[in-house]
Amino acid sequence: MSGVPAGQIAVPTARRRLPRGPGNLRQGWDRLRRNRTGFLGLCLVTLVVLIAILAPMIAPYAPNDQSAMLHFGAQAPPSAAHWFGTDRSGYDVLTRTLYGAPTALLVGLGAMLIAAVIGVTVGALAGYLGGFADELLMRATEFFLVIPVFIVILAVVRLFGVVVIGTPLEGLPFLKLDAIIVLLGLFGWPPLARLARAEFLRLKQAEFVEAARCIGARRRDIVFRHILPNALPSLVVVTALGIGSAILAEAMISFLGFGDPKTISWGQSLYFNYQVLRVAPWAVLAPGMAIFLTVLGFNLLADGLSDAFNPRLKQ
Amino acid sequence: MDFPSRAGAVRAIDDVAFTVGRQETLGLVGESGSGKTLSSLAVLRLVPPPARIVAGRIVFEGQDLLTLNSAQMAALRGRRIAMVFQNPAYSLNPILSIGAQLTEILAWHEKLPRRAAHDHIAELLRLVGITDAPARLRQFPHELSGGMKQRICIARALLCHPALLLADEPTTNLDVTIQAQILDLLQQLKDRFATSMILVTHDMGVVARMADRISVMYAGTVCETGNAATLLRSPLHPYTRALLESMPRADRSYQTVRSLPVIPGRIPSLADPPAGCRFHPRCPEAEADCRKLRPMPVTLGSGHVVSCLKRGSQGVLA
Amino acid sequence: MARRLVFALVLVVGVSALIFFLINAIGNPVDMLMADRPGTTDQAIAALKAYYHLDRGVFWRYLIWLGSVARGDFGTSITFNQPVGPMLIEYGLETLKLQIPAILLGLLLAIGIASVAAVRQYSRVDFGVMTGALLGHSLPGFLVGILLILVFAYWLGIFPSYGAYSTLTPLWGSSLADSLWHMVLPLAMLTLFNTATLTLLLRANMVDVLRHDYIMAARASGLPERRVVFRHALRNAIIPVLTYLGILFGLMLATAPVTESVFTWPGAGFLYINAIQQLDYPVIMGETLVVTIMLVFFTLLTDIAYVLIDPRIRLE
Repeated sequence: MSGVPAGQIAVPTARRRLPRGPGNLRQGWDRLRRNRTGFLGLCLVTLVVLIAILAPMIAPYAPNDQSAMLHFGAQAPPSAAHWFGTDRSGYDVLTRTLYGAPTALLVGLGAMLIAAVIGVTVGALAGYLGGFADELLMRATEFFLVIPVFIVILAVVRLFGVVVIGTPLEGLPFLKLDAIIVLLGLFGWPPLARLARAEFLRLKQAEFVEAARCIGARRRDIVFRHILPNALPSLVVVTALGIGSAILAEAMISFLGFGDPKTISWGQSLYFNYQVLRVAPWAVLAPGMAIFLTVLGFNLLADGLSDAFNPRLKQ
Repeated sequence: MDFPSRAGAVRAIDDVAFTVGRQETLGLVGESGSGKTLSSLAVLRLVPPPARIVAGRIVFEGQDLLTLNSAQMAALRGRRIAMVFQNPAYSLNPILSIGAQLTEILAWHEKLPRRAAHDHIAELLRLVGITDAPARLRQFPHELSGGMKQRICIARALLCHPALLLADEPTTNLDVTIQAQILDLLQQLKDRFATSMILVTHDMGVVARMADRISVMYAGTVCETGNAATLLRSPLHPYTRALLESMPRADRSYQTVRSLPVIPGRIPSLADPPAGCRFHPRCPEAEADCRKLRPMPVTLGSGHVVSCLKRGSQGVLA
Repeated sequence: MARRLVFALVLVVGVSALIFFLINAIGNPVDMLMADRPGTTDQAIAALKAYYHLDRGVFWRYLIWLGSVARGDFGTSITFNQPVGPMLIEYGLETLKLQIPAILLGLLLAIGIASVAAVRQYSRVDFGVMTGALLGHSLPGFLVGILLILVFAYWLGIFPSYGAYSTLTPLWGSSLADSLWHMVLPLAMLTLFNTATLTLLLRANMVDVLRHDYIMAARASGLPERRVVFRHALRNAIIPVLTYLGILFGLMLATAPVTESVFTWPGAGFLYINAIQQLDYPVIMGETLVVTIMLVFFTLLTDIAYVLIDPRIRLE
C-alpha cells in the first residue's frame, strides 16, 4: 500500500458525473436510419399514415361522387381530370384509393392490437409461470396454429353477415369490417404468444432479473418494469409484420367478396372492379399497388427494426 | 519455399517471407491478429474473400503456386499440401459420416478400388491412434470427442501422404492433457511420412517442443526467423525478446517483481499501422529512425534473419 | 412418436369441433339457409330439419356428423346435390395440380439461384438476387396474378385468362396440351412467390454455412468448388428450408381460394368459396376437415423430416 497511513482514507468531495452515452432508443434510431431497407419501409409507412389522415383534404373528389358519369363515363382511362381514371361505377379511382388508406390502417392496427393483447398475455403467462400453465397455454396456441385461419374467417364472416339480416345490428356502419378486424385479431395471436413466451423464458433467467428479485422487487414490477421493456423490441418487430399480414388478409377477404360493401377498402375496390379488368385495368391496379406498397412498407420496417435492435454482425 | 506478401483493402500481410525445408518443422509464432493464419491459408491460395493475394511468390517443389490455374491448384490441395485446422469441432461436416468424408477425399485424388481404399483409411486411422476403425467410420462428428475429432482431421490431411502439412493452432481448442498427445502424434507422423510442417501457434511452449526453425510475426510482418534453439536462447528482435520475457516460467523466480512483465501498449490496427517499424510504439529500444524507416530483413550468421534497424537492417521509407 | 400422432388426431377433431360449434353458434343452419332462400316450402324445411337432425342438440349433431365422416360419408352437397366426398377429390386434384408443381419448381429454382448468389456474396448478382427475392416475396399473390393476366392474356393474348380447360375445342386438339396451357399463368404466379421466399431463406443459410470451417477444410482437401458447394454447403443449408416447405404448403393451401378466384380455376378453393356463398354446410364442414387434416399431416411430416435428415437430432 502506498503512502496513505492506515486509518486515514481520502474521500472524494465532488461526485464526478459521467457523460451519458446515447440511450438504447437513440442508438436503435441511428441504426435504423443507416439501414436502407428499413428506412425505406419507414418512409412508406409514414406516407400511408399521412395519406390516411389527410385523405379528405387531398382527394380531388368525394369518394361517392359519380359526377364523372356525366363527362367521361365509367371506366375511363387516366386523364387530367381523373389521374387514375374512373372505375366501374364512375367513381374517381384516385379518391377511392386515397380513402382506402385509413381503412387499411384501421384493420392492421386494430387486428394487431387485439392479437397483441391476447398473444403477449398468453405468452408472458406461459413463459413466466412455466410448468402446467405453460403446457396448457402452449397446447392452446398449437391448436390455434393448425386452424386454417383464412378459410375459417371466410366462413364465419359470411355466416355473421347472414345472421344479422333482419336484426337491429344490421344497420350499424362498419359492422362487417369490425367483425373482420376482431376475427383477424382473434386468430392472429399465436405467433405473438410463441415469441412472448420465448422472450419471457429467456429474460426470466437474466441476471438483472435475479438482481431485482434479490432486492425484493414485487412480481408485478419485475414483469412490467424489467422483463417487458426488454422483450418489446422483438415483439414490436413481429407486430409490424403482423400489421402487414392483417392488411393483406383483409384485402384478400374483400377480394373474394366477403368484405364489407359499405366501407371503402382496397380489397373492396379490387372485388368491385375485377370484372372490368380487361377494359379498365387502372381501377384494379391502383388499389393493388397501394396494398403492395403498404405491406412492403411494414415488412421492410419490421426488417429494419429487427436489424436496429439486434445488430447482426456484418461480415 | 518462399512466401508472398498480400493485402486486402487493408494490407494484412506485408513483406512476409519464410522457407521450410524437407522434413523440417517451421514454427510460425505470433499473437492473435499477427497474420499467421492468413499466411498459412495463402500457401493453399485459400485466402477468404474479400482478401486477395497481391504480390509475391509461393515456391513449392520448384513451382510458383501463384502461376497455377485453379484446376492445378486443386490437384495440389489435399494431395501434396494439406491443412489441419484450429477447431476440430467445426472442421468436419456435421451431416456426413466420418467414413463418407474420408473416402470422398481419397477417391477424388487417387483412383483406388474400394477394398484398397478402405484398408488405406483403416491403416491411417490406426496410425493416428484410433482403434476400432470400422465403427468410427460409421459415426458422425458430434458423436466423437474433441481429441478424436482432431486425430481424424490429421488423418484426413495425411490421406495422400502430402509433402507439406499446415497446422493452424491444432491444439488450442483441446484439453491440456490431449494437447501433448496430439503434438506427439504430429511429430511421429511427420517423421514416418517425411512431411514438412508449418506449425502456426501463439504458444511458445508448443513451438519450443516441436519446431526446428521459428518465424516470429508481428502485425502482419515477419520480424525474426531462425533456428529454434538459437532463437529461443538468444532472441535478437526486441519483440521476440519481450515475448519470451513475458512468458511465465517455472524456472524463474517471481518473488521480487511486482507484476508479470508485459509488452506495453496494444497490437496496432492493420488499417492504420504505425509508420516506420511497426513495433516501434511498444519497443523499449525505439529510436528516432524507427519512426520513419521500415526495417528490411537482414541475414546474420547461420541463416538467422532479423528485421530491426538496431540489428543491422536497412530501412526504407514507409 | 405415438404421443405426437395422438395429439395430431386430437387437434384435427378439436378443430372440426370448433368449426362445427362456431357455425351452429352463430345460428341455426337451416334457418340461415332459409333466410338466404326466401320462399321455400314448409315441407322442404321440415325435410331438411330432419336431415340435419335438428331435433337433437348441437353436441349430438356433431357426433353424428363425425361418425359418418369416419365412415367416409361426407354428406350430400346442397348446391350440387352430389356426394361431397368424390367432389372434394375431384376439385382437390385440380388444386394439387397447381400447388405441387409450384412448390417443386420453386424449390429447384431457389436451389439454383441461391447457390449462385451465396457463392458470390456481396457481388452485384447477389444484391440483385436479394432485391428480386424480397420483391417477389412481398408482392401480394393476387396482384401478381392480375398483372400476369393483364400482360399475357389480355394484351399479348398468349395464355388463357381463366379456367383449367377450354370449354369448346381443346388447344391444338390435345386435352393434355390444353390443360398444360391453362396451367401456365397460375403456376407462374405461385412459383414466383415460392421461389422468392425459398431463395431468401436458402441464400441466408448458405451464406452462413459457407463461412464455416468445414467448408474451408473441404476446399483445402482439394475437392472441386462445385462439389464443395453442392455436397457440403447446400446439404447443410437446405435442412431448415426443407422443413419450411411444410409451412409453405400450408400457406399455399390456405390462400388457394384467392389464387383460384383470380384465375377462375375449378379447384378446392373455388369450391369452398362457392359453398360459403351458398351456405352449403356439408361441403364447408367436409372441406375444412380435410384441409385441417392436411395441415396437421404436413406439420407432422415436417417434424419427421427434420429428424431424418439431420443426424444431430434424434427423437427423444
